[in-house]
Amino acid sequence: MTGRSGQSDSDGPTDPTGGGAGRSDGSGRHEDAGAYAAYSVIGYLLAGLLFWGGVGFALDRWLGTNFLVLIGMLVGGAAAMYLIYVRYGKA
Amino acid sequence: MALAAVNGTVNLVGYGLSAIGPGIGVGLIFAAYVSGVARQPESRNLLQPIAILGFALAEALALFGLVLAFVIK
Amino acid sequence: MLSLVTLAAGPGFEAPDSGDFQFPDIAGGITKPMVLVVLSVVIVFGFFMLTGRRALVVPNRAQFAGESVYRFVRDGVAQDAIGPEFARFVPYLTALFSFVLVNNIFGIIPIIQFPSMSRIGFPAVLAIVSWLVFNYVGVKRKGLRAYLKQVVYPPGVPTWILPLIIPLEFIQTILTRPLTLGLRLFANMFAGHLMLLVFILGGEFMLLHGSGALPFLSPFAFLMGIAMTIFEALIQVLQAYIFVLLTALYIAGALADEH
Repeated sequence: MTGRSGQSDSDGPTDPTGGGAGRSDGSGRHEDAGAYAAYSVIGYLLAGLLFWGGVGFALDRWLGTNFLVLIGMLVGGAAAMYLIYVRYGKA
Repeated sequence: MALAAVNGTVNLVGYGLSAIGPGIGVGLIFAAYVSGVARQPESRNLLQPIAILGFALAEALALFGLVLAFVIK
Repeated sequence: MLSLVTLAAGPGFEAPDSGDFQFPDIAGGITKPMVLVVLSVVIVFGFFMLTGRRALVVPNRAQFAGESVYRFVRDGVAQDAIGPEFARFVPYLTALFSFVLVNNIFGIIPIIQFPSMSRIGFPAVLAIVSWLVFNYVGVKRKGLRAYLKQVVYPPGVPTWILPLIIPLEFIQTILTRPLTLGLRLFANMFAGHLMLLVFILGGEFMLLHGSGALPFLSPFAFLMGIAMTIFEALIQVLQAYIFVLLTALYIAGALADEH
């Protein structure tokens, strides 16, 4: 029952660059890049929907229309998905 | 005699129903990812971008539902 | 047949809601969550002090317990996530993990039974502190302009799409991160405590004030309460770990260089 005292260091990944060579954002650390990516994905989607949806909402209030919110959300969602592709989708 | 009272708008019911699909979708995506990596651990770096992309697409629908539940009156 | 299970009999069951998370003053504006947070600080500090005092090269059992917690954060979280420069951040991450863990576990300890992270103020402050840490580290490493450029500018994007994307990137990194960090912890603790309240108070109501067949159905409510308590224990540890892991990853992201 020596716990982790037998291991001196975490095992390196199979590729020598540390798993970060293909990513276009800073985080390339081996096992945890997945958690970073997953929460970033949710962050991008929320940011896109809320920001451009908010812009659409403000334009709606100003112009008196009622469909710009939806257009804003769609544009924001598309921009967010494009960003996710650029950052995490390219192998 | 009323047995129970439910307060609120239908938005909440709509959001709850719309969250079923993305929940199952994300589960399927990551089940496939875990299976793939379990069969062949070297494929992890190849499969991860695909899993993240699929997750983003499925999650987008869930977040659309969440935001619309608040926006639509 | 319907009288077998009458839902609105007697004074009625009041479902627990957010009012159950507010406590009366004990003395001079001090409420139970405040006392619990201070108690958790005393516990964490006392634990590390007592197990680390007179540190021997070959540790005895108490020292091994203290070192296990420290090593868990250092090896499992900091070293994996941050990489070569992890040593600077281990004290903060260890303190954060222990603090959040003890506060979460308070939710299932018999007499205390309140996870102090279910009051939004505490996770909010922790999220703000983590946000300050990772932004400060990034700005100090690279300078304000270069850090913002790294945050906001994804490489390989055509220029015409940049105005669409820059607000998104900025919001995702600077605004959404502390929000989701704090909200995740808060929502998990709030929902877990609420669920426990529903099952246990509901079971008690069914046993003592129910009519018809309800008292005989109450053991199921208590069984669900027990199952939920075990599930809550897992969630509490997991949420503490995720909070610390994400803080470490954000620090790593702020420190990293672009290719």
